[in-house]
This record gives sequence, structure tokens and C-alpha cells, in this order.
Amino acid sequence: MVSYLIICRSLTYAQRTAHVLERAGISGSVLRSPKLISKEGCGYCVRIPERRLTDALMVLRREGIAPKQVFLQTADGEYSEVKA
Amino acid sequence: MIYFDSAATTLEKPQAVPSATAWAMRHLASPGRGGYSAGMGAADLMYRTREQAAHLFHVSDPEQVVLTSNATHGLNIAIRSLVKPGGTVVISGYEHNAVTRPLHAIPGVKIKVAAGPLFDAGGVYAAFEREVTPEVDAVIVNHVSNVFGFIQPVERIARLCQERGKPLIVDASQSAGILPVDMEGWGAAFVAMPGHKGLYGPQGTGLLLCGGDAAPLLCGGTGSLSARQEMPDFLPDRLEAGTQNVCGAAGLLAGMRFVSRKGVGRIHAHERALACRMMDRLVCVPGVAVFRGGQEQSGLFSLTVEGMDCEVAAEELAKWDVAVRAGLHCAPLAHQSAGTADTGTIRFSFSAFNNAGQVDRTAAILRKIVKDGKKAW
Repeated sequence: MVSYLIICRSLTYAQRTAHVLERAGISGSVLRSPKLISKEGCGYCVRIPERRLTDALMVLRREGIAPKQVFLQTADGEYSEVKA
Repeated sequence: MIYFDSAATTLEKPQAVPSATAWAMRHLASPGRGGYSAGMGAADLMYRTREQAAHLFHVSDPEQVVLTSNATHGLNIAIRSLVKPGGTVVISGYEHNAVTRPLHAIPGVKIKVAAGPLFDAGGVYAAFEREVTPEVDAVIVNHVSNVFGFIQPVERIARLCQERGKPLIVDASQSAGILPVDMEGWGAAFVAMPGHKGLYGPQGTGLLLCGGDAAPLLCGGTGSLSARQEMPDFLPDRLEAGTQNVCGAAGLLAGMRFVSRKGVGRIHAHERALACRMMDRLVCVPGVAVFRGGQEQSGLFSLTVEGMDCEVAAEELAKWDVAVRAGLHCAPLAHQSAGTADTGTIRFSFSAFNNAGQVDRTAAILRKIVKDGKKAW
């Protein structure tokens, strides 16, 4: 399944991000960032469905929440950074 | 037992508090340490605790809510963040040792006491107006005196600090859950509070509401930015090194929900009514001096008994299974300000679970103790 990972600076920030998205009707799950893309050690991200990225970024911008990075996770498990 | 020492710890808790604490102990692991359900469940609980506190105390962002082990812990962080060696700080005349001792531990700090008369909010404000001068680094005030229940003019002091560009630390130990605590409205740099008093959480819990940057008191693992050796520069991680008290937070969340449901205004009115009822019954007893403050007093008060040591009086009450606190209440400065440093006082403090029958019984017991004491002497 293709999805986007919104990388957050902390667990609490990821929880807040997911909460804001949920309020806007975008379901997102908080999970630990894959080591491959978490260069600074332990981190957290919010996974959202592929088709909701544009809406999600708009909602987050409106709420003043800045994603650290955004990655596309492809069906075969590869990650590629996308410009948020 | 009749328990009138809620200013130290509320002993009777809503049933949901021990239930939540026990449930967390069985089902939740460390937040921020693993992606498995017991770890993520703990993280979710911590977040809900922050959200509840942010809602209750008007904090815009749950990240600004730091979980501490008590109010003293939070005050130490706040003081260490703002007061440096050789700095100058203004404090009220009613501060607890949780404020004065950390200040004394910083080398060369000049402490200016904005001393005002007991139950004279105008006098206290005037003292702050005088003392908050350009060289001051920080201002510290407790919302309610833990000895006398004196409600200090925090809103006005906060406005003064904003006007003069001085960071404000509020010790809300005796007001959180009892009076409105308005972090954003006050524009405070920090507000510290315990979880185990008016918020009905377990001992070992507390909250520090942060308005800006803070210096960590402890350094260690946070479950974030693990490859770096510096502490994270973002809250709450910056101030929450080590495994957090998840079971305590579960109880604290249940306690805060109880306070929200019941309403801070109703809790305060109930406690004040009990305090006034007891003061009414004791004020006419010969030899008993009640420190009464009208609208500027919350639901706790102190008294002295002429010719009877306050600790002896408290011991006598304990024989009747009435629990109160006597002595200096870890606040010698407050006693100096009120003129009771030599005698100490006997303090009565109430909670949402006390009732008028307990007040009447205790007043009758105290009258008997005073009468019998006089005969003995």
C-alpha cells in the first residue's frame, strides 16, 4: 500500500499532528519513524493515505503545524522524500 | 477519620483515580520507547493528560504541558531557567520553601520580597509595583498562600510583569483545581502545580505549564533525537528525561476529569463554605485567633490557640481522629509576613469530599480541647 509519512520532531508533536488531522476528517496513525529515514535517532511520524496528502498539508499549515519532512512509502517499502 | 489536610494532599480521591492508576500499571509500558500497543497506549495516555491540562489551564498547545513529579520539581525547573547566579528576583511575602530554597541555592542571587499585609491584595500589589525594577530577572508569586489561603492578586501582578517585560512564575499549588488558572491570560513564563492536591491525582505527579524556553534539570533519554548528545530543544521532551510516571499520569488525568466535570467554581464555593462555617464556629472561642480574610481567602485557613503549642493542639485533634497540619507548613516566609513565625499555626484545609457535619464535629472537638487545655494550665 502506498502512503505518506509525515515526520515529526517529537512523539507529542506527532500526536498533535494526528489529532489535528483527525479533527479535519483525515485519519492518520502515529508510529515510530523507520530507521532508514530517521537520521537523528528515535523519532515519530504520522502515516496518512496517499490521496490525502494535499488536504493534510493544507490543514497542518492552517493550524501552524510544521512537518519536519514528508516521505512517500511505496508498495515495495521504499522511501522517497517529497517536498512538503 | 476526618481529614482536613487537603492543602498537603487530598486523601480521598474520586474512585476513577485509583482505578485508572491500577489499570495503567497492568496495561501500559513506557511512552515514546516502543511502537507496540502497550507503549503507544502509554503515549496516548500522556497526550490526553497534556490535552486535559491544556484545556483546564488555558494553554494553547499540549506540548507546553510538562509532566513533573510535583510542584517543587516544576518550580525548580522554572527558577533554574530564569534565574542565574548573581541575578535578581522578586517574590511575594507568602512563598513556600519550594521557591525560596531553590533561589537560595543559586549563588549570589538577590531576593527582593514584595511584602504586603495579610489579606490585603492592594498592599501586595503596591509592593510588587515598587520592587519590580529594571534589574529584576524574574518575578515569582504563589496564587494562594498555603498557610493562610490568602488569594494573591496574580492577574494584576501578571499585567504588571507584562508591562515591565519581566517573566513571571506562578506557583499554583493551592489554586489548581480550585480557582481559575489562566496560563495564556496571565502571559506567564511558567505555572507550576502539584497533581496530588486540588487535581486529585496520586502523589508523585505534577504539571509545569511552559510559556517559553526552559532549561532541563535532568538530562537523559527522551525517546527522541537519540543520535544526539544534547537534550532536544523542544518541549515536552526537553524537560522529561527518563521514564515517565505513566501510572501517576493516568490517575492525574482521571482527577482532572473529575475537576472539569464538577467545575472549579463549584469546588471553590464548597471548600470556602466549609472554611467559613468552621471559622464562624471558632472565632468566638476565647483564646482562639482565626486568620480570616473575607473574599481574599480560599477554602483553607489557619488559627492559633493562646497558651497552646500548635503541634500539641494538632496532636490532640489527631487523638480524636481529626487530621490537620500544624507548624510552619514549609513556609517560614509566610509566617514572618503574618507575624506567626514564633508560634506557627494550625491549618485546616478542605476538599470536595468534606462536609458540614465534619466541620461541626471538629469545631466542637477543638472547643473542648481548648477548654480542657486551659484547665490543665
